[in-house]
Amino acid sequence: VTLDPYNAFLHREDVEGDWRVGVKDVIDVAGMPTTAASKVLHRVPERDAECVARLRAAGATIVGKLNTHEFAFGALTNSPHFGAALNPRDPERTTGGSSGGSGAAVAAGLVDLALGTDTAGSIRIPAALCGVTGHRPTSGLVPVDGVVPVAWSLDAVGPLARTAAECRRATEVMAGRELPQEAPRRIGLITSLFESADPAVASACEQAARALGDAEPVELPLHEEMATITQLVMLPEAATIHLHWLRTKLADYGADVRARALAGLLLPSTAYVTGLRARKWVRSLWPKEYDLLVAPAMPIVAPRFDAIPDDYRLLIMPYHSPAALLGLPVTVVPCGEVDGLPVALSLTGRVGGDAVTLTAAEQLQRAA
Amino acid sequence: MGTESSLVSALREQARQQGVEPTDEDLEGVLGFLSRILPVLAELEARIPEEIQP
Repeated sequence: VTLDPYNAFLHREDVEGDWRVGVKDVIDVAGMPTTAASKVLHRVPERDAECVARLRAAGATIVGKLNTHEFAFGALTNSPHFGAALNPRDPERTTGGSSGGSGAAVAAGLVDLALGTDTAGSIRIPAALCGVTGHRPTSGLVPVDGVVPVAWSLDAVGPLARTAAECRRATEVMAGRELPQEAPRRIGLITSLFESADPAVASACEQAARALGDAEPVELPLHEEMATITQLVMLPEAATIHLHWLRTKLADYGADVRARALAGLLLPSTAYVTGLRARKWVRSLWPKEYDLLVAPAMPIVAPRFDAIPDDYRLLIMPYHSPAALLGLPVTVVPCGEVDGLPVALSLTGRVGGDAVTLTAAEQLQRAA
Repeated sequence: MGTESSLVSALREQARQQGVEPTDEDLEGVLGFLSRILPVLAELEARIPEEIQP
């Protein structure tokens, strides 16, 4: 077993094989422990999650389980029980999360492919901060059987890899169908997300986006409220999932995850229903005429561990909530550097438009 | 201070009724979430068109 200087793995096996795949530790792999980087959960499943079984059948070698934010319920990958994943681009900086071990393992070349999950940005954030490619598939495209849920109506399983072509191959295998090359026909730039990003990040992203061709400025509906709407749906679903453990193992949770789960438990009973209604409202107003919406994947580069902004979550949620809420496919593709750290573009498609976002990401990587 | 203390007490009772026993520190963390979410929730409840059902 080789070294793991970035604390990317929670469990690793000494196996030989091609197409080496690491699996986020909320996804079952037969015979390997699933802990979700928590003290609460420890199971050794007899069966692979369906997505893992499909990859194995296609020739993947599963090399281990990857670090995550506790229960994939946060954006830093700093489990108090297993330690933080370190960013291979600068180990004094966060990988982001929750699929931080996945981002680190791909960036460090420890695996060819890593599986992550994305409830509200958890594939996209570490892909952007670690400088790798990530794809959040359309909700429901990749089966989530055998995956520890965060919030049923938001969760998606997807790949992180060096290139969009590798993400396409993995998504095709896990979805059980081909995703043909399909160029976008009408492209929008989400202006508010460029405006609220760090100017150097926005500038790098704007320059990279030009390689996609003509694009029109787009404003998203209810964008200021979108992060809260996502929480109105996510927090009660998460509290329901965790209710048994909240009753029996509350003290075993890390403080941040405990507070989030309790917030879901203690929101007013109208909150979830209002969240569902608001989601439907957003869907009705969404600019469906665009088959590709482009924005910076993150408003900042990876922060140092000792300088994580106090408002980190509030800062990044507007970038990831819309696609999570509506179940849209997003490919995150590295597009440059600021101060020697990776910057990435987020390419969001329509429901079922995974082929379009992946094709556009491949086009950007060919142009780079 | 008194208001926050009574809010924490109310949340503790609500949690107990659901079989969960958080500490005051836990509930202060929850208050941080709720103070951001509840004003937007109230605004959405007023703005979402009536015909939109879950």
